[in-house]
Amino acid sequence: MSTLVTPRRLLDRSGVVRLRREGAIPPIGAFLLFLLVYVIINPSLLTRFQLQTAVNLVVPLALVALGQLIIVLVGGIDISIGATMSLANVVFASQTESLPTAVAMVLALLVGLACGVFNGLLVAYGGLPAIAVTLASAFIFGSLAREVLDRPGGDISKEFYLATSGEFVPFVPIALVWLAVVAVLLWLLLQRTALGRHIYGVGSSMDSVRAAGLDDRRTTLIAFGLAGLVTAMGAILLAGSTLTGDPRSGDSYLLSSIAAVALAGAAFTGGRGSIIGTILAACTLGLIGNLLFFAGVNSYWQYVISALIIVAVVGVPVVWRMLSFRMKGGRS
Amino acid sequence: MTTAVDAAPETSSGRSVLARVPRPVWPLLAFVVLFAVGGLIRPNLVSVDSLIGTATFALILSIASFGQTVAVIQAGIDLSVPNTIGFAALSFLAWVGPLGPVGAFVAALLSGALIGLVNGVVIAKLGLTPIVTTIAMNGLLFGAILLAFNFSELTVVPDFVIGLTSAKVEILGVQMAAVLPLGLALMLVLQLVLSFSGWGRSLFVVGSAAETARLAGLNVDRIRISGYLLSGVLAAFAGIVIVGYYQQASATMGANYLLSSVAAVVVGGASIFGGRGSVVGTVGGALVLGQVSTLVTVLNLGANIQQLIYGVIILVVISLYGRRSTA
Repeated sequence: MSTLVTPRRLLDRSGVVRLRREGAIPPIGAFLLFLLVYVIINPSLLTRFQLQTAVNLVVPLALVALGQLIIVLVGGIDISIGATMSLANVVFASQTESLPTAVAMVLALLVGLACGVFNGLLVAYGGLPAIAVTLASAFIFGSLAREVLDRPGGDISKEFYLATSGEFVPFVPIALVWLAVVAVLLWLLLQRTALGRHIYGVGSSMDSVRAAGLDDRRTTLIAFGLAGLVTAMGAILLAGSTLTGDPRSGDSYLLSSIAAVALAGAAFTGGRGSIIGTILAACTLGLIGNLLFFAGVNSYWQYVISALIIVAVVGVPVVWRMLSFRMKGGRS
Repeated sequence: MTTAVDAAPETSSGRSVLARVPRPVWPLLAFVVLFAVGGLIRPNLVSVDSLIGTATFALILSIASFGQTVAVIQAGIDLSVPNTIGFAALSFLAWVGPLGPVGAFVAALLSGALIGLVNGVVIAKLGLTPIVTTIAMNGLLFGAILLAFNFSELTVVPDFVIGLTSAKVEILGVQMAAVLPLGLALMLVLQLVLSFSGWGRSLFVVGSAAETARLAGLNVDRIRISGYLLSGVLAAFAGIVIVGYYQQASATMGANYLLSSVAAVVVGGASIFGGRGSVVGTVGGALVLGQVSTLVTVLNLGANIQQLIYGVIILVVISLYGRRSTA
């Protein structure tokens, strides 16, 4: 990163190859197409108010999807991610009533980290399947969230709203800045540190990682903890944009975070998935309802269309491979 | 299928005897223990009425989890169960007018079959993972539900479905809701199919070792697709049963069954990696969850604590026999 980023370097073939290997090309293409259609139908997206609303809508989903991505990279899946989000959300919102906002934030982040570590310990050191562990902790974290705050509430200050969901500088929605900071840090961690390569390694070839003498359990644990931390950031930004804490706020993010990771082309067997693809996939899924609204279509179509986009983007390359394999086989 | 490996035949230690106990026995045993614990805390809990109450709740959850059991046995998962339940329930009520009760019943089951068929074809032929495919299907169905029914209230439930579910029947002098014998009968039929039909056996083989099954000449794709098809039909049936019992339907009526259907299957002793599980076990798992719910209500602990205990039970169960065999 210390080297000069020239346009030439940006177009560096290896970068594109990496994006392709990580399955990021289809979601990037889908997002660009989607954005084009969106701006044609509703050019006022680019006005300050609409852009900010749209960003506040998709940033929490993008962060939670990044959390899910990290788990998927190590070959797991997090069924408890919605409950983790609800718990961090209500801890933050309820603690702002008595504590300084910064302390409440740290508490919420610690709660997210603790949730991740809880799952990670059971998966990495208990040898239990991630899907079953996180199914159990989904019940546990969800229950704790409703213990902390049994109905929407909390006291989030106007200043915090401005700092997380307002406009930092004119025309730049601040939530986007926070997302960018998290994404860049995560990208640096995953692509430029040994730990990051271990995370990809554990997911793609556990045996090789073990044979190389690396500690796959510790890596898995760190991945779960990291995912919990990123999920908690999503929860805090969600609280900032809705100005409340809600013990059920994370529920809808369970399925949509998995959908975003799937749309990003990540492999659910682990080892493949890109950050930029996940963020853009989350943007696409999060904004479909808005697009339909401006197009004058019943926004309930968003569920149908999201499903079709996922199947198309994930399925078309598979069908393509199958067809080309058959054609090649026929020729030889 | 249900018993562990017949390993160490000569050392008839206590351990290997325990390993030979069929798995569905454990959740049923756990239920009996919980029932006894309930009796120690509140003696009046040991009554036929209390048992019937818990069993009714458990059988409704079981019916919703039977399809999930079939999906898990063949190493899949069906996250489209919630909205298949909702879709089948709402369309059943909507179709009663034009098609008549029986016609609507058959049509709703057929729609479940179609949902399962699409899931199965996408998973088996396109090779998408079960989680992604069924989540996409779940979303698609939610859209379909909202577009077709738009939160409209449908409350007219035909008599014959009420007769199948919420009407009181008397068996051996005990009054119970019809859904209880219905669920037990369905369990019996499904367990016989899973244990003794060639198709049922092959479902387990595909679930534990798909590649081996392929090499052995089984049509893996067809078995997978038919497994998801059955899962869809059973979820649709669950939707009709739930409508019959509670006599109301809404767009989000299936939401609770997303996690709890998987929970009943896992507590029932199925392996989340496939190849192992039984519908008898699932009923046992649902009974355990149901008895916990009864105890929580009696002890006045609140619905939150119930969810917490569900989580702990799942953790205990998977740490007892959910470990990867290779790890």
